[in-house]
Amino acid sequence: MLVSLKWLKDYVDIDLSVQELAGHLTMAGLEVDAIEEKKPAFSGVVVAKILSIRPHPDADKLVLCDVTTGDQVHPIVCGAKNIKDGDVVPLAKVGAKIPGGYTIKLSKIRGVQSEGMLCSEQELAIGDDASGIMLLPDDLALGKDLGEALDLTDIIFDIGVTPNRPDCLSIVGIAREVAAITGNKLRFPSVRFAESDEDITRLTSVEILAPDLCPRYTARIIKNVAIKPSPLWMRLRLDAVGLRAINNAVDVTNFVMMETGQPLHAFDYRFLEEGRIVVRRSKPGEVFISLDEKERVLRDDTLMICDGQKPVAIGGIMGGHNSEVKDDTETILLESAYFNPVSIRRSSKWLQMSTDAAFRFERGIDPHGQVRALDRAAQLLAEISGGKICKNAIDQCPKTIEKIEDISLRIKKVGDTLGTKIESEDIIRMLKSIEIEVKSGRDDTLLVTPPTFRVDLTREIDIIEEVARLYGYDRIPVAMPAVSATLTTEKNGDALAERISNILNGCGYSEVINYSFVTSKAVDLLGLDLADQRRNPVKIANPLTEDQSVMRTTMVYSLLETMRKNANAGSFNLKIFEMGRVYLNQGAGKLPEERICLGCLLTGVRYEDIWHFKDLQGDFYDLKGVLENIFEDLKISDVKYVSDVAEPFLHPGKACSLVLGGERIGYLGEVHPNVLDAMDVKNPATVCEIDLERLTANKGSIGYKDFPRFPSSSRDVAVLIDVEQEAETIIAAVREIDEELLEKVSIFDVYGGERIPEGKKSIGLRFCYRSGDHTVTDEEVNQVHDRLVKHIVALKSVSVR
Amino acid sequence: MTNDLEVLLAKADAELQTLQTEEELLSLRTKYLGRKGQLTALLRNIAVIPKERRADFGKRSNEIKDILSDRIDVALKEARNRKRSNDLLRQRIDVTLPGRRVHYGRLHPVTQMRREISAIFSRLGFTVVEGPEVELDYYNFEALNIPADHPARDMQATFYIEDGIVLRTHTSPVQVRKMEKMRPPVKIISPGRVYRHDSDVSHTPMFHQIEGLLVDRGVTFADLKGVLTYFFKEVFGSETVLRFRPSFFPFTEPSAEVDIRCMLCGGCGCRVCGQSGWIEVLGSGMVDPAVFKYVDYDPEEVSGFAFGLGIDRIALLKYGISDLRLLFENDQRFLEQF
Repeated sequence: MLVSLKWLKDYVDIDLSVQELAGHLTMAGLEVDAIEEKKPAFSGVVVAKILSIRPHPDADKLVLCDVTTGDQVHPIVCGAKNIKDGDVVPLAKVGAKIPGGYTIKLSKIRGVQSEGMLCSEQELAIGDDASGIMLLPDDLALGKDLGEALDLTDIIFDIGVTPNRPDCLSIVGIAREVAAITGNKLRFPSVRFAESDEDITRLTSVEILAPDLCPRYTARIIKNVAIKPSPLWMRLRLDAVGLRAINNAVDVTNFVMMETGQPLHAFDYRFLEEGRIVVRRSKPGEVFISLDEKERVLRDDTLMICDGQKPVAIGGIMGGHNSEVKDDTETILLESAYFNPVSIRRSSKWLQMSTDAAFRFERGIDPHGQVRALDRAAQLLAEISGGKICKNAIDQCPKTIEKIEDISLRIKKVGDTLGTKIESEDIIRMLKSIEIEVKSGRDDTLLVTPPTFRVDLTREIDIIEEVARLYGYDRIPVAMPAVSATLTTEKNGDALAERISNILNGCGYSEVINYSFVTSKAVDLLGLDLADQRRNPVKIANPLTEDQSVMRTTMVYSLLETMRKNANAGSFNLKIFEMGRVYLNQGAGKLPEERICLGCLLTGVRYEDIWHFKDLQGDFYDLKGVLENIFEDLKISDVKYVSDVAEPFLHPGKACSLVLGGERIGYLGEVHPNVLDAMDVKNPATVCEIDLERLTANKGSIGYKDFPRFPSSSRDVAVLIDVEQEAETIIAAVREIDEELLEKVSIFDVYGGERIPEGKKSIGLRFCYRSGDHTVTDEEVNQVHDRLVKHIVALKSVSVR
Repeated sequence: MTNDLEVLLAKADAELQTLQTEEELLSLRTKYLGRKGQLTALLRNIAVIPKERRADFGKRSNEIKDILSDRIDVALKEARNRKRSNDLLRQRIDVTLPGRRVHYGRLHPVTQMRREISAIFSRLGFTVVEGPEVELDYYNFEALNIPADHPARDMQATFYIEDGIVLRTHTSPVQVRKMEKMRPPVKIISPGRVYRHDSDVSHTPMFHQIEGLLVDRGVTFADLKGVLTYFFKEVFGSETVLRFRPSFFPFTEPSAEVDIRCMLCGGCGCRVCGQSGWIEVLGSGMVDPAVFKYVDYDPEEVSGFAFGLGIDRIALLKYGISDLRLLFENDQRFLEQF
């Protein structure tokens, strides 16, 4: 909320510097977000008086004026029609700067010299009026700087008022806090006015048909008003707090709202059919045109202010086009009411109309502040419009607004909560400073009654917070909790994730963090099958953009998107990983399953292009090697790589599922060229995605075995197998026979092409033999090795090369 | 004849001084000490030496043999060292050429920051727990004392999934979920992703928070100040100046916003702190009794404090990152700086 320092000073004396005041407000919970110095938008403009006006000899539409600044007379050429001899006006002298970047120069207009320019409000950016020269009060000192004469400087605080403090959504509310801070007295605006003989009840009545939504409605009628612009002082006040001046009637309602926090509305009485007010709920489908001339179709739960026939305002939110104050309005009905906060909030949300009035009503205004604000507005309106206030006000209060209960405040509880002892005299003094009534209870307990405008104070803890706030958080000591020991057995998933990311870092992979939401088109771009559960993501009802409209069901889209963005930025070599969640829809009304996954992507060269390494492109086996490292570190030895065409978005010949204990825990493979095309990615990429929870659930443990002391002996053999045959089948066949001496069999070479028959590949196998209790002899080894080779060769389509 | 021996020694010595290479020295050894060498040749003439001087002659010739042999060995050793040194120098490489690096990967700055923060709270005995990101309205709002139709909901622009389900706007729902499952003392932190319907220079629709909760008998606001003061001094250094100021969160009371004095300007006011000299880093407060009611804790028996801080924001401040959005663009040039 914008708060004018000058306005604030109307209600409380302030002897602090601007910075000090801002600091105190912030430390009292009213955070000053910004401080703006308001200055005139011009310089060199002074107060001047018109001495004489005569026609311009050479131009019909111009006149020549002699104006005095007290000690000097200036000839001025002017085109305005609204001035006469004796008027006091702003004169922009030669050298003056006015808004729009203009500097006034000595000039000849149609042959006549002009020593400056008379200005309109608009030309000086004081107001909107551009119809003629601004007319100033007669009592301003001639020659005085206009900014000073009109007192146009001010300090504007932008204060972030938290939702619990609707009482501070007004200048008086802030002034009350300032009074508590400074110890100075709060001055309420005085309300005194004369009433005419005509009693309001002869003109109107108020009938409340929805007392639950409108517990209180007060009204006054002011007759014989002249609608015109408000006086400058009021317009400046409104401008200072960011409100636009409209006319005196509307301005008064806004002014009093800003002053007291009570929103008000002014109706043109002549448009109220049957001259009366009926407060009721809207009818479903009811159409209403609000002040902003927009058509609103209503539900059945919005509070409407009606006349005898039709709605004339959306209660607490916005007035109606049909009853607004016009230039020729003569009689005004002022409304000051208390509306149900929840009802106003629902309606304003649903109608998407967040007005200053609704903002205050939904947070809760002072339930006892209606009449005071109404009278204040009536007084101001009568003063500035020449209107007559009818006798008496209507105060319909069909439903008693809940009385504020006394609250018990235990002195000990204050100390126990804050961790410091505060004396009860101090507590009493602080509470009284913010108008909390203290009835002394027993020694250790106070009975306190908050003021009606403090709708946030209903419990003991609320009062304790007030004490803490006024005492000063900075005065509360710093301690360390003496907490009972907590023995937790929470599984620390973070530790394993840390371990895995350390390995990935070591393997050259950098961590990325992508948004959890992706485009709804992701599932199509990846070509997921219609039956795939991942095609049915959790949708965001109110996404910011289509690109962020559904929760991801796989990591791979995000990774490819990161690759695309980096390629666009000129980075074509990437090794990245992300640890995050995918969200699997479990149907309406249910929370999705959130699965923590590891996703990796490799594209471009295996090693950074540098003089040592040639341009080696990373591929499937690079990423597989990384995974093997991770599995080994976690002591998971039995992951199977199953080439069952794992995913539609993977290369059908270069992809596999990762299977652990019969369960599929992820996939690994090159990205399908179709997907690369669809995502506008040029270079091949290899990706993997692993369910981290299932992986870590299978974590093995370190089991040390003594290493063998006797030397080993190895034999190599090359076999030819079909190109399609997986090498793993040979290894599996070897393992089938349980040869005690065989320590390890590994693939040391894979070769195809020259000297190898068409459709075949050569696999180089290395067999390592060792005994735990003696040095193996050649004969022993040869025997075993021959048996193994025979066994392999016995397999279909395997031959020794 | 003995004199012949001395002459030989002097000659051999003189020759030795002129030789450099191993080969030359080896041939010198052969020339004097070999089977057909000059010393051997002299010894063959022993027969012509008078008997009484033969013993002396023999003794002296052995001495000279040893002397020469030692001297040649020393020279050989030197020659070999010289040669190796020369050979090694010829193998000189250009040490300024870049090393054969297999580039290591980096951790995302948010992860680095999160680990650092978690480690500090772990030292204080807090346990890390997690909760769902797609969350029930009940846990995200209701049980945190933010009823439907309450203006406090405006404080957190929310992504909705369907009626009653939202993307969590903060990590605070984890508090409630954990308190439902355990009795005090509770001492947890919960890091994770959170979501707000907001996107501009200083807001991303997703960011990271760490929630902290401590509930036990006799926990006070002073304890809250103590723990958070310790925390920020650990993160930003012991010189860090903190400020606790009143604020409002529906689930804590009294509530406090924590500011640290701007480390860039030292409190004088600059662009980073918006001229205020202070940077808002954390929201906190004593757990509101209303929240305890939801989890069936007795606010007369136990009290506690809770806090929530933005990991991303702390990372920005600590590493001097200018724009929050960079965190989630994952540009390699960004990632490789951490």
